[in-house]
Amino acid sequence: MATTGYGPQESTAFRKGTVAGRPLTREEREQMLKPYLPPEPSSSSPSPSRPPTPSQKPRKQGSKHHRRPKPGIVRHGLHVLIYAVVSAIFSIFFRFRRAYRLVRSKVAAVLYYHHRTPEFIQRDVKNLDRLPQHLSVIVDYHESDDDQGNAGIEGLMNDVCEIAAWTASAGIPNLSIYERTGKLKNYMPDTHTAISRTLESYFGPRRKPTLSLRAPHLQSYSPPRTPPFSSTTIPDSSSPSPSSNDPVKHDRQHLNVLLLSAEDGRDTLLDLTKTLSQMGQNGNLHQSQITADLIDAELREAVSEEPDLLILFSPTVVLKGYPPWQLRLTEIFHLPDNKGVNYQVFVRALHNFARAEMRLGR
Amino acid sequence: MSESIHNSRFRKWVASSPPVIWGVRQLRELLIGALRQGPIPQHVAFVMDGNRRFARDHGIETVEGHNLGFEALARILEVCYKTGVKVVTIYAFSIENFKRSKYEVDALMDMAKLKLTQLSEHGALLDRYGASIRILGQRELVKPDVLEAIDKAVSLTAGNKKAILNVCFPYTSRDEITSAVKKTIDTYSQPIGSHPSPSKRPFSETHITRNIRQQMLKTVPEDGSEKSSSRSASPESSKEQSSAGHSSATSTLMNQSEKGDAYSAAPSFPDPETITAETLTDNMLTAGTPPLDLLVRTSGVQRLSDFMLWQCHENTSIVFLDCLWPEFDLWQFLPVLVEWQWQRKKIQEQERGRVRQKTE
Repeated sequence: MATTGYGPQESTAFRKGTVAGRPLTREEREQMLKPYLPPEPSSSSPSPSRPPTPSQKPRKQGSKHHRRPKPGIVRHGLHVLIYAVVSAIFSIFFRFRRAYRLVRSKVAAVLYYHHRTPEFIQRDVKNLDRLPQHLSVIVDYHESDDDQGNAGIEGLMNDVCEIAAWTASAGIPNLSIYERTGKLKNYMPDTHTAISRTLESYFGPRRKPTLSLRAPHLQSYSPPRTPPFSSTTIPDSSSPSPSSNDPVKHDRQHLNVLLLSAEDGRDTLLDLTKTLSQMGQNGNLHQSQITADLIDAELREAVSEEPDLLILFSPTVVLKGYPPWQLRLTEIFHLPDNKGVNYQVFVRALHNFARAEMRLGR
Repeated sequence: MSESIHNSRFRKWVASSPPVIWGVRQLRELLIGALRQGPIPQHVAFVMDGNRRFARDHGIETVEGHNLGFEALARILEVCYKTGVKVVTIYAFSIENFKRSKYEVDALMDMAKLKLTQLSEHGALLDRYGASIRILGQRELVKPDVLEAIDKAVSLTAGNKKAILNVCFPYTSRDEITSAVKKTIDTYSQPIGSHPSPSKRPFSETHITRNIRQQMLKTVPEDGSEKSSSRSASPESSKEQSSAGHSSATSTLMNQSEKGDAYSAAPSFPDPETITAETLTDNMLTAGTPPLDLLVRTSGVQRLSDFMLWQCHENTSIVFLDCLWPEFDLWQFLPVLVEWQWQRKKIQEQERGRVRQKTE
């Protein structure tokens, strides 16, 4: 408790409400608090509810810690100075930390490269106790080609393809890809072709996983050649290590890809509200029928299930309008200061997920 | 071993000596004053996670861990309000938490009651902070005696305008969203003045606005049904259209609208199409507070756990910290705040750069 700046007397008073074994009265407590209080509120915003109680009147500003009704110019200058120093130090620190992390991730990327081979990826996730059944990622659409080299639809498509291939290699059956603008939804056939081509280059043409691409409110796109959904062999959730599921032995592995965008978040919930209120206006819906379960069931069907793991490839955790309802218990992973889609983030997210403990409020 | 005990005792003695206390106090004040000079988040939310693990790690009782957690809360609230944060939202108790042992739940309830009653005794001091307390959550799940203490504290501070403390107490975000949806549907199911006699004029305002909207959105799939209903030119078309549903066939809709002309005393409702995200936001429990800028979760768990889903999924910076909540203090919060300020400044710079590019 060295850092709190309170004496032992204050601490006991706070915890037990006693001083020297004797309970505090109301006045004593207020007396004790006085040095830590902020200055009196200015007269421009008087408290409307209550006239000042007698205990408030005789207060004087003589306390040692409490020099200001108005902060002096010296104190203000000191604050500005310290602010400048602190932000300068942290700015340098953040920059160095970013550089260090960048170097480290580059080294790791060289050491643990997947060589576009599913076996390498399977080796990386072999020892994990559990894998997410539904993985979700947030990717960005870069308008300008600043420093990434993956701008525009091409870059986005490339990212999506790689992620899909890693997901299939790791043996995860469901993948949902969130991109705020929803640009990819306009190119469903192209995206499907691109992803299957990437899968082919990873797995080879003979054991390439089957793929179905879907977006909410749009028809699921799968070209005629693709076998129907029922023939798939999703690796059992009971068998923990996906490596034992050699895809050659089974027919084919299957990957469901779902494209999400900002309109699947708030807007979809709004649409649901509109429909429900129309039903309410017609008298087809009773108040008590609107429950979280109903909304959950509707959104589950219309958008997606709750993902188990959400991977961000951005340097900080900002959700950018990801569908809120589905995020309830999702594990959120990001690598600080990481920029752009890369395999290290993916693998570390899976490792982190295997360690995480689910508690559901308990 | 004995050396370390001796050391820790010595450290304790130093830490509790008056000059050190005074010095630390001054340092805190200085740092808080310094932080005020930069941009400050308007709305901060905390998930106070790790009380129980802290208790387990230190071999103390779970309830004692919660008590220490409350102390950490008091410290952090002081930091927040002194730096100028307008709204602090804390996740005190989840609806799911009722699954915990009865003993622990009761202890937590007692603690909430005790602290709120104590707080209510010091109305005058609360005015100095200018903070009002709001309790967000399912009131029905709280016992009446605790509810009484809550109501007293809430009504006592209701007039304070400078800052807000939102305590999420039996709360889950899904529950909040559900009640917001319910409330919205409620208001939209109230008829806005039933028309006893049909208006003589052949036009109605809702019609015209719908036609205007239709012209703006030519691509909407309901186009066909809209046209057919506009042909019938009945003031109750909003009713019929809604009864027919969006995807229904045109013919049934026309039939219904013809039927609708017969009895015209039906009440008219506000158009559900006017429901916007703001409508829902205003029906959330956090209505009227600035958007959430920063969400902090302690104890290394990287999940939202049904907290502030609607509020934090857009532009909120979410920070996951490894320290447990009872250990959380200015020294852990300072780097978070400074980093937030730093990011904010960078975003502003980028925006300025973009504006400059556009003007060139």
